[in-house]
Amino acid sequence: VRAAVAPAIVYVPLGYLLGPHGFTLLSSSALRHLDLVVWLALTVLGVFAGLGLRVRGPQERAMLLGASVEALVTIAAVAGAVAWLAGQWSLPVANSVTSVPLLVGVCAAASAVVITGGADPLRARAARIADLDDVAVVLVGAWMLSWHQGVTLLDAALAAVVVVPLGAVIAAAGLLLFEQARNDAERGTFVLGVLVLLAGTAAYLSLSPLLIGMTAGVLWRWAPGRADAIIRADLEKLHQPLVVLLLVLAGTTVELTALTLWLLAPFLVFRLTGKIAGGWAGWRIIGGTTAGELGVRLLPCGLVGLALALHFNQMMDGPIAAAVVSAVALGAIGFEILTVGALAGSEA
Amino acid sequence: MRRLVALATVISAMLFIRRVLPGSAIDERGIGLALGFALLAAALAGDLIERLRLPRVTGYLLFGLAAGPAVSNLISGSMARELRLIDGVAVALIAVMAGLEMNFVALRPRLVAMLKVGGITIAVLYATLFAVFYVAMPWMPIVPDAQGPFRVGVAALLATIVTSFSPTVTIAVIAENRAHGPLSDLTMAVVVLGDLALVFGFGIAMQLVRTATGTAADVSVLAYMSWEIWGSLAFGALAGAALAVYLRVVGREAGVVLLATCVVLSEVGTRLQFEPVLAALAAGLVIENVAPPRGDILREAVERSALPILIVFFAAAGASLRLDALRAVGLLAGGVALLRLLLIRGGTALGVRLAAVGKPEGPLVWRGLVSQAGLTLGLTVLVASQYPDWGVAVETLVVALTSLHVLVGPILFRRALEEAGEITEGHLQPTP
Repeated sequence: VRAAVAPAIVYVPLGYLLGPHGFTLLSSSALRHLDLVVWLALTVLGVFAGLGLRVRGPQERAMLLGASVEALVTIAAVAGAVAWLAGQWSLPVANSVTSVPLLVGVCAAASAVVITGGADPLRARAARIADLDDVAVVLVGAWMLSWHQGVTLLDAALAAVVVVPLGAVIAAAGLLLFEQARNDAERGTFVLGVLVLLAGTAAYLSLSPLLIGMTAGVLWRWAPGRADAIIRADLEKLHQPLVVLLLVLAGTTVELTALTLWLLAPFLVFRLTGKIAGGWAGWRIIGGTTAGELGVRLLPCGLVGLALALHFNQMMDGPIAAAVVSAVALGAIGFEILTVGALAGSEA
Repeated sequence: MRRLVALATVISAMLFIRRVLPGSAIDERGIGLALGFALLAAALAGDLIERLRLPRVTGYLLFGLAAGPAVSNLISGSMARELRLIDGVAVALIAVMAGLEMNFVALRPRLVAMLKVGGITIAVLYATLFAVFYVAMPWMPIVPDAQGPFRVGVAALLATIVTSFSPTVTIAVIAENRAHGPLSDLTMAVVVLGDLALVFGFGIAMQLVRTATGTAADVSVLAYMSWEIWGSLAFGALAGAALAVYLRVVGREAGVVLLATCVVLSEVGTRLQFEPVLAALAAGLVIENVAPPRGDILREAVERSALPILIVFFAAAGASLRLDALRAVGLLAGGVALLRLLLIRGGTALGVRLAAVGKPEGPLVWRGLVSQAGLTLGLTVLVASQYPDWGVAVETLVVALTSLHVLVGPILFRRALEEAGEITEGHLQPTP
């Protein structure tokens, strides 16, 4: 049994050892130079989410709805539990008692899948749900980011709304260019330029790179022509390096503080509960498998959740944000071990 | 038509983002916006310019100028400075490309003639400019009251800087047109020789100035130049050998490894006070002449990696062009530029005649030597930082000169390549 994404269990500790809390081979100033790369990585993940968004036919729509319900149930379970416990334990997140639990909840909702050696009829369906539950994560994450910066909920909603037309306009420029490129080098330049412009726009305006990327991905997916195939072919070469980069960067951010441990415990327990409950709720909509099986398949943490935590750390840059990244990164390791163990047990 | 619409779309989006929406107060957050905008819009501007039979490089530069702080400020001064962070890698990549184009076995029959043309041209340029600057010093707004060895040192410094060529622009124009032939070879040989002469000449001139102003360091001129020249060549050869071994043994992700090598050549080399152009050139020469990789793996990697790097490099250079310097010393800069042009023409004519170089490259080579760019500016910044009282005036003059030469040079050179029939037909055709 091997994880579908590069294993957090390897790269997160590696990042910790390389980072400022380890051997300082990646110093804080060096990490700041990678800011743009993180924005770009988040945008690329958003594009992947957008490219995967197919809603043609009742089955696809049911899948999207089921995946979104599964994600929202997980968000509610984790955010609710963390908010309640933060009050009970008097955690130092009093000023952000709503946003930090919600952030932990959103980060917990993203899923990945596990590839098993033999024929596995459930895997494709679980993988599809894991792809689609990113949509809810990206949307709630974008709204949270705006809320974090805006004064009112209305401001937050308006700021989030700006992302979509901007992403669509830049993606439209890409649409005009990708198929017209004269050679591979020019096509690569156009693809890179569009992605960097999307990421740069999000960074400059403090908008969600995941949402701007998803908007572009959706436009390329739905527009006629081969834009989606072109961008997918180029991005697939980038996918694995980006996964490794984000996991290593998450590792460099990990701080083993009391707050991290206070956040990690409910993250582990209530994400497990949320995924099982969410899987059950999703199963009610999608059908065709058993609720428990679906929940177990979705246990590994999705990279989008970790990316979102890293992004908030970039934006907030404080001990609380670092504790959230740390909890999510360590939680990803925990769920990776748990899933591999569970699947190995079921195979035996 | 689609490209025009795409360009208009990107510019409109940028205008909206920069003029209408509230941007980040954090300077670093603008780098991605500037980088993406430069990559897309400059690539399209280069393409449009090429349809007018002008070099793409000129399109990138003009785009940078139009988008930069001097004109529309879509790319602000701080964004332009951030974009220039890739200069070192770009220069190293361009020099590696030059090395890869220089096969000694193929060049051997013409090597002596090339060296003669280069040597004579540089000698004519340097000697005449030195004499003119020395004589005209009292009327130039730099150090009018300079006397004795100091006057000699400043005149030598100015002559060295004004003599210099731009390997980056020359190689970029050759690469973008996939030009091959005697004119490309001869021009490249002369600019590389010019780069060596610049390192020698600048070292000697700075030492003269330091001695005259009593700021000389303990290290001798010979030691300084030995380290800079031979150290650069050795360091570059070592990096080139490592890259060649990697390409032969592993051969995967050649583009990424090539760029990583350029980062090492540029960043590590600069910290060790090596000259990045020489080091990267040596790396390319070693790969091409000692251990060429099997197949086209490196050539393909260069083609894929070079385009975005060149676009950003020249767009950032355009955005950093200082029209204010041109306004301040325009007349003097115009006069010096005209004199330089005449001397390049005269020097190459003499060199070509004495070396018996024939047509088409002989009469056309001068057009490849007009450009000046990053290296010249880099040395001038060094002078300005070490001698702020008069170095800033040198910087203003050279910035104005470079602004003229970097815009005119590529156009002249591309026309020459076209006349020599060295531009690969169909380099604009789509790949099947």
